[in-house]
Amino acid sequence: MNFLQYPRPLADLIVALSRLPGIGPKTAGRLAFYLLQQPEAAESLAQAIREAKDTISQCSICCNFTDVDPCGICENPSRDQSILCVVEQPRDVAALEKTREFKGLYHVLHGCLSPMEGIGPDQLKVQELLRRLEGVREVVMALNPTVEGEATSLYLAKLLKPLGIMVTRIAHGLPVGGDLEYADEVTIARALEGRRQL
Amino acid sequence: MAVYHADALVIRSREYGESDRLLTLFSREMGKLQALAKGVRKPKSRQRAAAQLFTYGEYLLHRGRTLDTVNEASPKESFPHLWNDYDRTLAATRVAELLDMATIPGQIYPEAFTLTLTVFFLLEHFDPYLLQGAYALRLLRLLGYAPRLGECSECGGALCGPRLFISSAAGGALCLTCREQYAGRWISAGSMALMRQLLNGEMRKLDRLRWNAMMQQEILETLRAYCEETFERKLKSWQMGSAAVEGGGQDRDGKEGST
Ligand SMILES: [Zn+2]
Ligand SMILES: [Zn+2]
Repeated sequence: MNFLQYPRPLADLIVALSRLPGIGPKTAGRLAFYLLQQPEAAESLAQAIREAKDTISQCSICCNFTDVDPCGICENPSRDQSILCVVEQPRDVAALEKTREFKGLYHVLHGCLSPMEGIGPDQLKVQELLRRLEGVREVVMALNPTVEGEATSLYLAKLLKPLGIMVTRIAHGLPVGGDLEYADEVTIARALEGRRQL
Repeated sequence: MAVYHADALVIRSREYGESDRLLTLFSREMGKLQALAKGVRKPKSRQRAAAQLFTYGEYLLHRGRTLDTVNEASPKESFPHLWNDYDRTLAATRVAELLDMATIPGQIYPEAFTLTLTVFFLLEHFDPYLLQGAYALRLLRLLGYAPRLGECSECGGALCGPRLFISSAAGGALCLTCREQYAGRWISAGSMALMRQLLNGEMRKLDRLRWNAMMQQEILETLRAYCEETFERKLKSWQMGSAAVEGGGQDRDGKEGST
């Protein structure tokens, strides 16, 4: 798209916004004009971005985003150090924490294996995971139920099992409140595979 | 035609926006298409399964101004074996990437569609990397790049010696005299013979073929270079070794096939 009709700083802003995930050039233009019309909102947004960028880094143990290193979860003595839950993204940690079900520690891979996009083990926090296995009894895979997520779980299981670590995967099944008849065959097969005694 | 129908394989599925996926579909009737599957990363979406990589299904697509979108989709086959085994996932990924690289939108490839679908089914039981090799050679042939592997591609003369020369620029193997004019690579006569079988043998009997780790590596490397040179693009997933997992390739050596 051509922004040459705008003054350069405005065009730059639109281009920068349109690089954000999920934002097309049209939305970027709308946001840019909004920010120019609301100087206070623009100022506080600029400040928040700068502050987050300057103070948030990756935890040196679990690779989650944090403002202190190690992060609050890794430093919490009441959490079970012998069980690690592997997730793709920092936002997945937040989703799991909301449930208050998991008492162990996390490890954030920052993605999953995607050979077609050129993303292999070296592009993920795999070495960081292998370096922190002392005293770990179980590793729970909580990756997205996609082909790439599954491939990543299988890959990590192959690395971890020879070390005598139990590798488990969270159950994949039917969404709560969904009708069984609307579920697809893969989901139903997975749900059957993960059945439990009542 | 605002709405149209496609019988297609998902050969690429990328996260897009907040909760969508951008699919590359390879269809029987229309060749390669891109379509946006909206909301399919939410657990309640009914099109979630059909938007997963390597799914074969029926898609009802709506023509959009910039991007077509998936209106309805029903998966016919989701190939669970391509989810449950790392080597099979990798081989299928390499098949999909090669197909994506070698084809252009707006052209139809009914035979390549059938070949790809067949390979996805055969991946359940066959050596995944043998299939990958056979696929590459057969796709090259379907697209008009059939490599000549039985005689010199330049003069038609006989090939001899324990090491043979192959060049994508020449379109196949070369004799000792003709090879001087071409860039290419040396491979063992055994690998060349196996490649001939991968290209010409009956698809359903491919699993009777045997190779060792060295031949596997030599053949897949040769085919990667051959395809990259032919289509002038890099094959990312072909460079990512299966050796990333120790013993992943060796597990299958000498395993009995379905014969
Ligand atoms: Zn941490
Ligand atoms: Zn010759």
